[in-house]
Amino acid sequence: MARAGYNLRTNYLESNEVLRRPYQRLLVALILLAAVVLPMGSSNFFLHLMNLCFLAGIGALGLTILTGFCGQISLGHAAFLAVGAFTTVILTVHVGAPFLLVVPAAAIAGAMLGFLVGLPSLRFRGVYLAISTLAMHYAIIFLATSYQAKFAASASAGITIADPVIGPFVLRGDFAWYYFLLAFLAAVTIMCVNLSRTRPGRAWMAIRDRDIAAEALGINLARYKLLAFMTSSTLASISGSLLAYYSNVVTVEKYTLDLAIIYVAMIIVGGMGSVLGCLLGAIFITLLPYGIDNLFAYVPRNWRFGSTIFGVQVGAVGVCIILFLLFEPKGLAEIWHRIETYFDRWPFRYRPLDGIRR
Amino acid sequence: MSVGNLLEVRQLEVVYHRVATAIQGVSLEVPAGSIVALVGTNGAGKTTTLRAISGFLPSEDAEITDGEIRFQERRINGQLPHQLARSGIIVIPERDKVFGTLGVGENLEFAAREGGPITLDMVLRYFPRLEERRAQLAGYLSGGEKQMLAIGMALLCRPTLLLIDELSLGLAPIVIKDLMDKLQRINKELGLTILLVEQNANAALAVADYGYVMEGGRVVFYGKAQELRSHRDVQEFYLGGAGQNDAKSYRDIKQYRRKRRWWG
Amino acid sequence: MEFAATVIILTCTYALLAAGIVILYKAGRVVNFAHGELAIVGGYVFYSSGLMINDSLWVAILGAIAFSVIMGIFIYMVMMRRLVGEPFYVAILVTVGIAIVLKSAIIVIWRAERVTIDVGVAPAIRLAGGATLSYMDIAGVLLTFAFFTGLYLFFRYTRLGVQFRGTAENPLLASQRGVNVNFVLSLAWIIATLAASLSGVLFGGRAFLSTESVTIGLAGLTAALVGGLDSLRGAVAGALIVAFAQYLTVRLIDPILSEAVPFMILLLVMIVRPWGLFGTMEELDRV
Repeated sequence: MARAGYNLRTNYLESNEVLRRPYQRLLVALILLAAVVLPMGSSNFFLHLMNLCFLAGIGALGLTILTGFCGQISLGHAAFLAVGAFTTVILTVHVGAPFLLVVPAAAIAGAMLGFLVGLPSLRFRGVYLAISTLAMHYAIIFLATSYQAKFAASASAGITIADPVIGPFVLRGDFAWYYFLLAFLAAVTIMCVNLSRTRPGRAWMAIRDRDIAAEALGINLARYKLLAFMTSSTLASISGSLLAYYSNVVTVEKYTLDLAIIYVAMIIVGGMGSVLGCLLGAIFITLLPYGIDNLFAYVPRNWRFGSTIFGVQVGAVGVCIILFLLFEPKGLAEIWHRIETYFDRWPFRYRPLDGIRR
Repeated sequence: MSVGNLLEVRQLEVVYHRVATAIQGVSLEVPAGSIVALVGTNGAGKTTTLRAISGFLPSEDAEITDGEIRFQERRINGQLPHQLARSGIIVIPERDKVFGTLGVGENLEFAAREGGPITLDMVLRYFPRLEERRAQLAGYLSGGEKQMLAIGMALLCRPTLLLIDELSLGLAPIVIKDLMDKLQRINKELGLTILLVEQNANAALAVADYGYVMEGGRVVFYGKAQELRSHRDVQEFYLGGAGQNDAKSYRDIKQYRRKRRWWG
Repeated sequence: MEFAATVIILTCTYALLAAGIVILYKAGRVVNFAHGELAIVGGYVFYSSGLMINDSLWVAILGAIAFSVIMGIFIYMVMMRRLVGEPFYVAILVTVGIAIVLKSAIIVIWRAERVTIDVGVAPAIRLAGGATLSYMDIAGVLLTFAFFTGLYLFFRYTRLGVQFRGTAENPLLASQRGVNVNFVLSLAWIIATLAASLSGVLFGGRAFLSTESVTIGLAGLTAALVGGLDSLRGAVAGALIVAFAQYLTVRLIDPILSEAVPFMILLLVMIVRPWGLFGTMEELDRV
């Protein structure tokens, strides 16, 4: 049966397909295979980097649902991460709860907070919503700071927690974490892809594109906006909780507005509104500081101050945001799609039409 | 190029988004000092032609892919809007034609360029209503008053060629007639050349000297306004069949059966 | 008196920032998240250019003005101009990116040192109740006043001001009527950056400049939102409220909350009157 090309979907069933072409399926299988085999010969540092990427990916998927699918601008992502981390701390330190109980509890805490933070979205849009999420961020961080001031061993050292125990296994070391996080991320990715092509996803995208029209079509704005916030905060909370277990220490200083902006940068650079973009962006932004570190090896010695490297690392994220927004607003995912369609259409040329969303 | 043509459009082709051809092979001539009407239904390409002439295609992701536009014997393809405005091509757009948050007086002052033949007093004499409402916010004016303000603003810009897009949209017939008459007066008294793009062919052809009919992105008929008014096909398709005495019911006007005979 | 002096100067700082944000919003519907960073970098430029040439005040002033003009034109012509027609959040996110880059500039160029601007004109005035006002503070307050008066007169009565307001509402129509929209918008960015730089210098004189001080930008933003994003009057009112509340909170409740206070006020205002104290209701849907 003749297909119209990978990104041209001509009926409803086709529009719900995820990996349409054989080469796409092959590619995904190869990547998964590589991911499974990779650790068998990689340094711990490399595995550590991959783990950071996976954790970032889980959190970024949450933000993709909220901002990419549903179009609600949120600057409060750091607060949700903090909620996950601090719920973990409170439950392990004060109650001694096991891993398998804490993570779901963190998820629930995240969901409840997501509901609260999502309430302003019923009244505001755009900048006003972003500012109200920012206000919530400060409120939550204040609570976390107070908690840390009271319970931490020393003021800025933070609180330590033990490695998680799942049944007979102890999750310790980058190798074990790698497989755990890989599986977890894969599961969350599949969930997000499925969300995007079923009713919630369609409702969110309708709200994103023209919420008044969505409401006129019978989509319950309140329900789906709150659902988006809650799903996003749940994922972020889980990510925060896992990160707390992974790094064995939790400090509130980490959860700044800058962190929230870094997550926003991930979905911008990767491409808003697509799961592929989200993952690409998460990997890119997580690895960026390390890449810059490596680049500095080529810079003459007397320029290499600690603060300079740090400054450039900070600035690089900003530069990436600006460059991508100016020249490639649909992000890394779009670059990938362009490569795909170049080979797909060859020898014909394919020029993208502005304003056509996939 | 005949002497006396203020504006000449030759074989113009405009493409939107690099794929959709909006107009093709469009040619028009606007003699100096005349009123030319460009009529047609929705989507015929009239506004696109206006945009091409006034330089507003890039903001719509459209470009001129063929043909040329000559104003005062100079080629003006692709010049920037405010350059064209400075050389005297003034457009009154279909929507958002005045600054709603500014007062009426401020709107008029906004556009005014010193040293032109048309002064503020002259404009206020043409449109005394504006003098009455001088201190009001333009956003609170009625449709007809907004249109008057828009024309007034345009006049104060030292126009050599006035392009008006859909003057009659949303206005009551009596207001339309009043405005059209004023335009005719302005044309006669000030010698201002006007290109009118209109869906309301009746009103437009009543005051115009020449007319062009556009359909599906092409010019399908043109001539003196008088000829257009009396042409059977134009009457039937654009003027509501007013001139036909034998058409007693809709059944007799078998548009869907009759081919349009545009070649004569 | 100490209370009054600090609050007044803080109000001036925030009012200048808020004014810049309001101008940029009115001109281009852009909410500038980089305003705090612009202010602090402006302050640093003032400080460094003064240091460079014999601690000269005039060179410092010139440096700050030059920075503002160049930065304003650069931001508009190179970046914001390309974003015409994109959804509103794209411009906002670009300003967020600019904020990050400016912050990294502070780290790279000035090593993120804490810097206090001391114009060195001694002695400072001592007032009753233990307050001190340096000449710079006084100059700052006067300049703020002059700035706002000038701005009001400009927008209300000059031809360019009217064209400014028209361009803000409908750039396409303004362009059709012969206004060079790029010039007007660049001017908006220059004025806004100048205001930010002045505010940074003020803040640097009274407190200090560092990577943490960029949070005054958010306070300025909330002040603008509280007062109404499209109202200059509102900018002053919002700044006063925020400065007042912040001072009281820091003194009486808890210094940690100082960053959060502006947002709490904003939340309150948004529940009751989302378009701000002096803003216009219709603006709420535009952003």
